[in-house]
Amino acid sequence: MTEFSLRDTFGDFLVEYGKEESQLVVLDSDLSSSTRTFKFAQKYPDRFFNMGIAEQNTIGSALGFAISGKIPIVSGFSIFTTGRAWEFIRLACHDNLNVKIVATHGGFVGEDGSTHNALEDLSLMSILPNMRVLVPIDHIELIEMLKFAIHNQGPFYIRLPRHPFPQIHESNYHFELGKPEVLKEGNEIGLIGTGFGGILAYQSAESLEKELNTSLKVINLSSIKPIDTIELKNQVKDLKGIIIIEEHNLYCGVGSLVARLLSEETHPIMKFIGIKDSFGQSGKREILLDKYGLNVRTLKEKIKSLL
Amino acid sequence: MKSMDLSKSEEKKFLLDVIEIKKIILSMIHTVQSGHPGGSLSCANLIYLLYTKIMAINPENPRWDGRDFFILSKGHAAPALYAVLSKIGFIDPKELESLRQYGSQLQGHPVKNNDIGIEISTGSLGMGLSIGIGCALASKLDQNDKKIYVLLGDGELNEGVIWEAAMAANQYKLDNLIAIIDRNGIQSDGSTEEIMALEPLSDKWRAFGWQVIEVDGSDLNASINAFKVAKETIGKPSIIISYLIKGAEVSFMENTKKFHGRPPNDEEYLNAINELNKIEKDIISGAFN
Repeated sequence: MTEFSLRDTFGDFLVEYGKEESQLVVLDSDLSSSTRTFKFAQKYPDRFFNMGIAEQNTIGSALGFAISGKIPIVSGFSIFTTGRAWEFIRLACHDNLNVKIVATHGGFVGEDGSTHNALEDLSLMSILPNMRVLVPIDHIELIEMLKFAIHNQGPFYIRLPRHPFPQIHESNYHFELGKPEVLKEGNEIGLIGTGFGGILAYQSAESLEKELNTSLKVINLSSIKPIDTIELKNQVKDLKGIIIIEEHNLYCGVGSLVARLLSEETHPIMKFIGIKDSFGQSGKREILLDKYGLNVRTLKEKIKSLL
Repeated sequence: MKSMDLSKSEEKKFLLDVIEIKKIILSMIHTVQSGHPGGSLSCANLIYLLYTKIMAINPENPRWDGRDFFILSKGHAAPALYAVLSKIGFIDPKELESLRQYGSQLQGHPVKNNDIGIEISTGSLGMGLSIGIGCALASKLDQNDKKIYVLLGDGELNEGVIWEAAMAANQYKLDNLIAIIDRNGIQSDGSTEEIMALEPLSDKWRAFGWQVIEVDGSDLNASINAFKVAKETIGKPSIIISYLIKGAEVSFMENTKKFHGRPPNDEEYLNAINELNKIEKDIISGAFN
């Protein structure tokens, strides 16, 4: 299956959108070739600001741009941006400022290893009031999310992977903030995936249905915050069980969020697939995903345990 | 350079206003029995100077587009900011007594509120200069003549991100950015030089590419001229190291860490007000200075 680099999509989007949105400014912390913001820098050098290897000052400056009426888009690696500059991001959220963080290298980064993995970012961002946290499942959804973020006031965090993702959506897909998107109908077990978790669920659902003689519903939970809880409850209420799949630490991750939202009322049994309290390590991404349990084998076991 | 000295009567009025502001600061902090008197008294005259003689503002409209930006990076001096904003008409004086209390928009540290002239929330130290850089870059982009003023505490310079910002302001030649250091020499736990030495401070900023202006912060005309130099500086950011006194003009609060973050009790409050009343009389009679 053809795969698409979401980083390239992001870089190309900035170039295209920079033309019609004159208030857009882009900030990076010396990673513009990796994050692809260099494309914007080449086209609009006056509106691109390389702030050096200084994530705190990068986000801090974005706050200043925001209170001056600009729409700052900040990019960088997920873990450095969300971790090092967290308190500046907290201030952006505290003051509900128009700062858009689009971080690459979310989840497993591969060979760069555990220091560079971002398996905590969704938790760090979701805990902040006013923040909207989005994880696209493919490049089509990413473009929709970027447009949405730019056209809606307030802080956003959009997490991109380092590695390419396959195309899941048709080109006419329309993103709705908060809405759990049903990718495939089914009536016994629900697979709720974020980012790669959604891809894993979607790509393996049909064969697992046949193999296990069940019916699987697949939900793309790309809007981590907010989540339309009523819609989510409706989507899962008649299911026997659900499995939440994420490329993130299971502690305080997407599964935890979903569990909290569903647990106040009668709900299906929940199972979780994600990284079990680890920073990960170096290695090829597909090997890491497999070793840390984000694979069809684990998914199959979890489904069986619910049947 | 031609100086911009105030007339004697202008200076007298300014000094009397500052005393009134200091009384308000102490009253607010005493009422709620919480707050930072030392670092509010040190920079009260400086903030008042900015709002009355230095910055472009519209007293009728805190949101006026043409305004200069002020960022109180040392957010614990909020009482000084609130007192000044009430003096210039952005805050209803009746609101001042609600400082730090439930439901008040005058929180312990400033919270963004464009209705009363607060551009951004501050209080977590070290953040204001970076924010100022974004504002200054935006103004350059818009080709307006807005100036960005950031007031830093000296203890605040311990924060590493200050020096990230110092590099960036030089990199982008932000001559529309004017930082001011309240160089009172005392931070929460003691003298700045004992806790985490800053000196040679002016050399540090010069080495980072800034125009450095040192001034006795109690000298009104010298301060005005320091800002004039900063405003006229082209091609680099300016920093005014303003030598001020922690707890200034209340003898037992001066040069001590004791009143950094502790309010005066009833007796101390009355003594402080008496001292300020005495200074006020001296200013009126001309005996001050």
